[in-house]
Amino acid sequence: MNGRWGYPAIAPFFVIFLIFGVAPVVYSVYISFYKWDPLGVSEFNGINNFTFLLQDSDFWIALRNTFSIWALSTFPQLAMALGFAWILRNRRLKGKSFWRTILLVPNITSVIAITIVFQQLFGRDYGIINSLIQLIPGVERIDFVEGTLSSHIQIATMITWRWLGYNTLIFLASMLAIPDELYESASVDGASRWQQFVFVTLPQLKNTITFVLIVGTIGGLQVFAEPQQLGADGGSTKQFLTLTLFLYNQAFLNNKYGYAAAVGIAITIIVLIISTINFFITRRIASESSS
Amino acid sequence: MLRTTSTGLNRKNSKSLIGISAALILIVSSFVQPARAADPITLTIWTFGEVIQPGLQREYQKLHPEVKIIPIKNDVDPLHQKTVLSCQTGGPADIIAFEVPYSGYWRTGNRPNCFQDLRQMKTSDTNAAAGIAAGLSATDIKKNYLPWRWEQGVAFNDSVIGIPTDVGGLQVAYRVDLFKKAGLPTDRTQVSKLWPTWEKFIAVGKKYVAKLSAAEKKSGKGFIDDAGSIYSAVMNQGTAKYYQADGTDAGKLVYKTNPQIKKAWNTTVSALNAGIGARLGQFTSDWNIGMNKGAMATILSPAWMLDYIKKQAPETRGKWDIANLPGGGGNKGGTELGIPSYSKNKQAAFDFLTWYLAPEQQLKVFKTYGLFPSTSVLYNDPELLNYKDEFFNNAPVGQIYTQGVLKLKPIFEGELERKIDTLFGAGLGRVASKKMTPEKSYALVISDVDKLFKN
Repeated sequence: MNGRWGYPAIAPFFVIFLIFGVAPVVYSVYISFYKWDPLGVSEFNGINNFTFLLQDSDFWIALRNTFSIWALSTFPQLAMALGFAWILRNRRLKGKSFWRTILLVPNITSVIAITIVFQQLFGRDYGIINSLIQLIPGVERIDFVEGTLSSHIQIATMITWRWLGYNTLIFLASMLAIPDELYESASVDGASRWQQFVFVTLPQLKNTITFVLIVGTIGGLQVFAEPQQLGADGGSTKQFLTLTLFLYNQAFLNNKYGYAAAVGIAITIIVLIISTINFFITRRIASESSS
Repeated sequence: MLRTTSTGLNRKNSKSLIGISAALILIVSSFVQPARAADPITLTIWTFGEVIQPGLQREYQKLHPEVKIIPIKNDVDPLHQKTVLSCQTGGPADIIAFEVPYSGYWRTGNRPNCFQDLRQMKTSDTNAAAGIAAGLSATDIKKNYLPWRWEQGVAFNDSVIGIPTDVGGLQVAYRVDLFKKAGLPTDRTQVSKLWPTWEKFIAVGKKYVAKLSAAEKKSGKGFIDDAGSIYSAVMNQGTAKYYQADGTDAGKLVYKTNPQIKKAWNTTVSALNAGIGARLGQFTSDWNIGMNKGAMATILSPAWMLDYIKKQAPETRGKWDIANLPGGGGNKGGTELGIPSYSKNKQAAFDFLTWYLAPEQQLKVFKTYGLFPSTSVLYNDPELLNYKDEFFNNAPVGQIYTQGVLKLKPIFEGELERKIDTLFGAGLGRVASKKMTPEKSYALVISDVDKLFKN
């Protein structure tokens, strides 16, 4: 009786997964071998989409931008989140839950709203950041959106602002799980607060840091809304064109669904490579901490 | 034994549950049914900017209490993507607005099928009260419209896919107070005489910028809001853009050879090099702020932009005036309204369209929102010609834009017009921000456009 009903019971998940998960993947692999315009001509194109992709300078620029924005948004954010968590962990801090709630507010703000506000902050002529920069004598206005590095900084700032609180809370949770005895014995040994942070807290957070890094990498490869809002085409020299934006533009701006599918497959391969690297690093960390 | 009884009970429960919910559904649906019988018609309009005016919408709903109009606004490009998708999947829209730069896309290939052929539609008699005769098809109302403007809504298989809302006649809006401060003439006829050609326009710009103080220059003030906007103005004064009419549906691609492109590009580059622009991209937040702060003395303004200036910079009331565009007539934008093939309310949609785009309504739209009528029967109408706008120093806006529009020649709009234009715009952006030399940037534009036609 139980055996008979087991499969129907789990069927809804698999049916939905087949329709919305597997089918689109199979379909996009299929159309990646076609020149595919839903309102125009569609014809078999062999591996041309893929060979063209490897020669397409825009793809390589997008790859560079994606990793640059990822690095600029992940590492400073990690350091800041650790710092904030360390402050929030402090026993003498008043209004703890207030600060924890405040930290999460950016995370529930819509990306579009964030982009609009940050665009004004970073505005070339009337942005507050440029007004501050102008106070330093001899420094020129920065056209954030036009520059390559500066536009990456602008986008990374938005991402950091949005995700900092979330990562802080994750660090805080695992910091609170570190037994007090470790700190007590460290202070008995004469360790300063900084030494305690470096030699007790950080090693204990190793797994959490790995987790945050992996989640950050996944998010980093998906950066889309922020650059799209800054300029749908990714900037005049494609300076902030990211991989997902590139894919989206090929499909929905240029109506090249086949080519976009090929880009999607390329992104999948990149993600697989990074996941493999992640896997080996995580395994090494795990074996180190168990030994 | 005990176990089987309990499962038996459960089954009984679940059966009665099904029974109850089935009864509930029946009851609920019986409540819904009579409401449907009253049959109010909801017209969903996908639109952008000020194409659908709330005032006129209310007026129509008063004439037709059974019709409810819901305009949904998007930006022009996202709206185009939405339209492309909905043509494949079906959608909720009954009327869709598309800009003229996209008209070439909808007119070619099998894409006219996405829209209802309006020659097949006839106005119903419900519109009699609103002054529209019954039994009119698109062919019957054609005579009211500017002929070349009407053709932009006619597909290459001759089906009428859109009716024109407005003509984006282009003129120069200038700041009287700032011109005075710079020692330039302020009277609109004299100002127009300052710049019969684009070269003269740039020369005036240089003169203006030279009078600015160092602090003003540092804060980014300039003669024109965005020197890049000169490009499309010059382009539209030619006889062909990226495509040339050659008798075929698709037209001939001439983006590498058309001398007009070179001319527009070089004129814009020389304006950029002369440093007369405030480098404010139109419709950015900096542009809106700059308009209030007097960061620019001129804007190349299509008729539809006048209302935008009024709304964004209300404090500059009376400080603006309108002069003629250098180099002859000008054009920018313009919109079509069409009915998607999947619409379920085609009759009501057609009745609304024919009323909304009739000359009487277009005149009202012009007076309230500045969109210049596409109905050429109005061009002799004293109400249009005598219309003056207080915001623009009582300039005879009607007369100035009518004269400009009458000078316009039809230009062939090809399939990827808008897309190619965006790439040329980006190329000029690279020159403006001094990231590339004009030659290098131009080469990149050409290779980017080439890519559009691969894969």
